Amino acid sequence: MADDYIVELKGISKRFGGIHALKDVDLELRRGEIMGIVGDNGAGKSTLMKILSGAYVADEGEIWVNGKKARIHNPQDSADLGIGMIYQDLALFNNFDVAKNIFVGRERTRGPFHLFLDKKGMYEKAEDLIRELKVDIKNPRQSVLTMSGGQRQMVACARAIAFESKILIMDEPTAALGVTEANKLLGLIRNLADNGLSILLITQRIPDILAIADRVFVLKGGMRQGVLKVGEVTLDDVVTLIIRGKDKETAQPADVQYKSFG
Amino acid sequence: MGVNQEQVPSAGPQEAAPTGPEPGETPSRRSKIDPSVLRKYAVFFVLLGLIVLFSIANPQFLTVRNLTNIVTQNTYFVIVAIGLAFVLISGGIDLSVGYQMSLVGVIMAMMMTEWGLPVWVALLTALILGTILGLINGTIVTRIRTFPLIVTLATAVIFQGISYMVSQARTFRNYPESFQAITKTRLLGIPLDVYLAVFIVIVASVIFYQTKWGTRVVALGGNEEALRLSGVNTRRLKTLVYTTCGFFTAIATIVMVSKANSMQSSFGPGTEFTALTAAIVGGVSFLGGEGNIPALVAGVFVLAVLGNGMQLAGWSTYAQFIVRGIILLGAVAFDEYQKNARLKTKAR
Repeated sequence: MADDYIVELKGISKRFGGIHALKDVDLELRRGEIMGIVGDNGAGKSTLMKILSGAYVADEGEIWVNGKKARIHNPQDSADLGIGMIYQDLALFNNFDVAKNIFVGRERTRGPFHLFLDKKGMYEKAEDLIRELKVDIKNPRQSVLTMSGGQRQMVACARAIAFESKILIMDEPTAALGVTEANKLLGLIRNLADNGLSILLITQRIPDILAIADRVFVLKGGMRQGVLKVGEVTLDDVVTLIIRGKDKETAQPADVQYKSFG
Repeated sequence: MGVNQEQVPSAGPQEAAPTGPEPGETPSRRSKIDPSVLRKYAVFFVLLGLIVLFSIANPQFLTVRNLTNIVTQNTYFVIVAIGLAFVLISGGIDLSVGYQMSLVGVIMAMMMTEWGLPVWVALLTALILGTILGLINGTIVTRIRTFPLIVTLATAVIFQGISYMVSQARTFRNYPESFQAITKTRLLGIPLDVYLAVFIVIVASVIFYQTKWGTRVVALGGNEEALRLSGVNTRRLKTLVYTTCGFFTAIATIVMVSKANSMQSSFGPGTEFTALTAAIVGGVSFLGGEGNIPALVAGVFVLAVLGNGMQLAGWSTYAQFIVRGIILLGAVAFDEYQKNARLKTKAR
């Protein structure tokens, strides 16, 4: 178990102009676990995850997936490795219904030369996914434009699962949700992990992490501060690490760094 | 749009409801008419209304001959409008289609009338050249990554300049019989180009509704960044969209020249305005992501019927210009109103 890492990031660094967003960051994600990624604004959480999802390319460092060194230079590379990312600003298509949203980019086709869309198959599969995820979406033909934040998150989850992602990255999925919807979504995320998905969960809501995650990864000023095991730590421990860092010496320059992010 | 999603007080209403039933369902049930339905069918009612209006106003309007004229005179507009619809639905715009027609038409005409080349060579060249012009537009739009409005405005002027340099502002007449036959031949009393337009309408509909590529073009207009993050090469897709538009425009050019049996550099420019207006009237959103082909065709005929009716009523060409401009403004306003109505529905 200890060495069964599905994702390993080794020495990841990323600069944006003069800003050193990530400095020599290591991360190990175990198979089937939920790892919370926490840190203050500008700590580098999203940047680190975007490097794994192919939205950014790291300046230095290695990415290992399933024990093999991986090259991730664009979102397609990442998707091919079974990594799915659900973005904070929810990359949904407002002009499409649920089923079309789920399958954009990986449409099912039929007929000679796979020329035509397999609409029937896609709507059926979408309905299955909705049922499987037990989400309160009535109809795969419903437009996502009129949906609530929670429903939209669920569509995004269904999309990641339809893409057969093995690793799911979620960027603040509960940020815009009410309490009821957030709890529903957290239940769903736990369910996905129990079914074998490995999940990286960025969030500002520490209680969310303590409720469903297995471990917490803390970033500050673009540096890894430590990994805490949920169940062995309190909310205060996590918050302290986020704010103070692992020790005063590194915390000081990191603070300066942090301010430059605005 | 994605931006508005954050402003929606999503937590408020459903927390009040103890069972929290499908919050997304409620608004659509509350509003009586789904705005997208209104948008879809409005153009057909407008077309019908215009036909009824002109039939009452002028006995000459509702004759087989006049209606046949309206259809046959507008086949090439239908084809251009479909080419342009690909671009509009993908979230772009191509103002150069009229000037592509000018350049492609002049070169094709000279090949047949001055250089004595066979008709098939001229036709093939026209199709290839049109495709290349579209490819040029697409490449510039995706490389410079700026507003396609400006890019295609610039290429429009360039195409026009080349067209006049090549043609020396001359008019080309006397085409081979086989070229004229494209629009003169009738099958069951209907000119060949009408069949061609119908065929293109069907092909475009199949592409949009039944193929992966068509879906992605619509997705591109809906949320380009999301499509890129889905692993689709949006740059290549966009380039291909403009290229497709160029290809369709070239087909339209062939029909136009064959029908007029004459070509000069000033033939073509202006078509972009009619096609654009028709597309917007036909419910293709100016911002991309939406549109359907039958409504687009109806949009072309709204303008055609209106032009014909005004002509029969003795209105001058200039008065017709004013009406056309007002229609475009009205259609854009309607488009905007639809969007706001829907967002209000959502926010509630």
